[in-house]
Amino acid sequence: MALDLKNLSFSRQILPLIAIVGLLAAVAFILAGLPDRELSEPGREPPRAPEQLAAEARVAGSGVVEPSSETIQIGSALSGLITGLYVQPGDRVGEGDLLFTVDDRAVRAQLREADAAIAEARAAIVEAESSRNTAASQLALYRNVEDPAAVSRAEVIRAEGEATAAGERLRLARARLDAAQARAGSARTEIARLKVRAPIAGEILAVNIRKGEYVSTMGGGGAQPFIEMGQTSPLHVRIDIDEEQAPRLALGAPATVSPRGASDKQVEALFVRAEPLVVPKRSLTNSAAERVDVRVLQVIYQLPETNGLFRVGQQVDAYIAAEGADQ
Amino acid sequence: MLWIAIRMLTGDAQKFYGLVFGIAFSTLLITQQLTIFVNLIERGASGVYNVSSADVWVMDPVSRTTDVAYAMPSTALDKVRSVPGVEWAVPHLRAQASVRTKDGDLEGVAVIGVDDATLIGLPKSMVEGSIEVLSQPDSVIIDDVGTTRMFPGQSPIGERLELNDQRAVIRGIADAIPSFTSTVVLYTKYSQALNFVPGTRNRLSFVLVGAEDPLQAKALSERIEDETGLKAQTRDEFAQDGIDFIIENTGIPLNFGITVALGFIVGVAIVGLTFSLFIRDNIKQFGALKAIGVTNAKIRRMVAVQAGLVGLVGYGLGVVGTVFFIWGFSSNPTFKGFYIPWQIPLISLVAVFLILALTGWLALRNVLKTEPASVFR
Repeated sequence: MALDLKNLSFSRQILPLIAIVGLLAAVAFILAGLPDRELSEPGREPPRAPEQLAAEARVAGSGVVEPSSETIQIGSALSGLITGLYVQPGDRVGEGDLLFTVDDRAVRAQLREADAAIAEARAAIVEAESSRNTAASQLALYRNVEDPAAVSRAEVIRAEGEATAAGERLRLARARLDAAQARAGSARTEIARLKVRAPIAGEILAVNIRKGEYVSTMGGGGAQPFIEMGQTSPLHVRIDIDEEQAPRLALGAPATVSPRGASDKQVEALFVRAEPLVVPKRSLTNSAAERVDVRVLQVIYQLPETNGLFRVGQQVDAYIAAEGADQ
Repeated sequence: MLWIAIRMLTGDAQKFYGLVFGIAFSTLLITQQLTIFVNLIERGASGVYNVSSADVWVMDPVSRTTDVAYAMPSTALDKVRSVPGVEWAVPHLRAQASVRTKDGDLEGVAVIGVDDATLIGLPKSMVEGSIEVLSQPDSVIIDDVGTTRMFPGQSPIGERLELNDQRAVIRGIADAIPSFTSTVVLYTKYSQALNFVPGTRNRLSFVLVGAEDPLQAKALSERIEDETGLKAQTRDEFAQDGIDFIIENTGIPLNFGITVALGFIVGVAIVGLTFSLFIRDNIKQFGALKAIGVTNAKIRRMVAVQAGLVGLVGYGLGVVGTVFFIWGFSSNPTFKGFYIPWQIPLISLVAVFLILALTGWLALRNVLKTEPASVFR
């Protein structure tokens, strides 16, 4: 099969060559075209079980960060316009610090009325005392006359009556003073009630009112809380555990918690308590008509100080040892 | 002597090209049809293969494929995370939705919600944009084949859609293998997908699991099934489920099976007829060879070389034809992701071998019986 150019035959030499070259090219094409079905590592770190639990029995849950006092939704005892707002979100307040004040002009007017009534009652007392004194000295004068004929019996009875009436007027005036003082006291109480103060020391988380807005105590549909606050040092985290998993949970064991989106930053959270009530799972879909048939045990853990890694309301993933794990 | 056989074969150009054409045609028919068949039914697994990082898929026990899935309560994710050997687990939502385009047209789309924090569940690569665009509000990523269907001849980037009364803005194009029905696919974050898909009670379609040891994925899936009562399939099993679903529910295997059988029959008929004609025509020459003392074994070898040459040329041209077909249509979105599995050329090689062996054996029977004296008759 020597190559002889004169005898070069298309069907005997060129065609088989074309076929072989074509086959080789086809093999290359086929091998290059095979689909890439290699498994790859995820680009971003997903939440992983901590190393000591990797091969152990464990329970996973998700939860939400909350203040250790739980969130306090500050309300107002009385309705009215807001005349002063003294905090903003992020402020730390002590117990009893003023948060906001509601319009107190009407109550202050009542207080002034009551104060006026007190002054009036005081004057009435003085007046009643003096008239009582007058009546008493007149009666004493009649009494001291030894000659019964000198004073008529009727005069004496009138003087006695006046003295008694003066005493009654004095008691009446004193009662009026008490009433006016009570009115003033109640007005002062109302004024104090119009100043809303922090019930505990903590951090202001949200302020949903502004100066000049009307706060209503009627609590119309879907009303936002006026101010939300809570004790944020330390923070707690409320982990939902599926009720089917709940019996496996090692109550009291610490939890390994990582925030959503930063799952490489895991911290160890200490057990605080398990809520005695198993509640329906809140799905956080923000849907108006949420229907659930999954119930969850809520377990509370205390987060260590992490300098802003966890914030109130943030979702977290948690891993907790199960009963029978070596922890 | 073998060279004589080849000269004998190519001496009659008509018969030679007839033989080559027969082999090339049946190779092309078998290879090309099998390739399209395999690629078509593998579309049933494209949803699984598009997710490149999950070792195990966890689903409700009644779920069958990526598209036929029954949603689970959201705590299923925590149950799966509780199983030892699970390195990570993320939620994955797949649902059908209707989208209103800018022109007011209605289009059925598949919405795929991927984990918010890690974006696990997106295809491996992007045609345009990066996966980071999902961090912008109301963002969706469309798949490239969906682009050609929904926005023919224009860029979809920045287009606004209406999904379940919500605004969605296309900010990226993903490089994904289309599904069997070539539905337009919109990828978005899980929390966004919950808003885009009209609400039912449970929304979580799948939990994607990464195994501590990917080689032990099968054992892990069994452990997940034991401990959670859910159904867990490894990636390959679940891909097979998608393929099986299409095989069970469509007439595709029967159709393509018939075509492949036809290719084989056509090959046998053309090649068999031509080959036996060729041998019969040359029976005198074989007789002469026998007369000068060529043994039957040598004649068998000569016929084998003739068959080998026909087979080589025909098979080569047939495979090259298939390659040209796939290559020529590779830019067509209908054929996106089509490839020739390496097993298929081997199958057609076996078929060609069978055709030639069968016809060669039939033709040789006469030659071997030939008396050397027949050359003088």
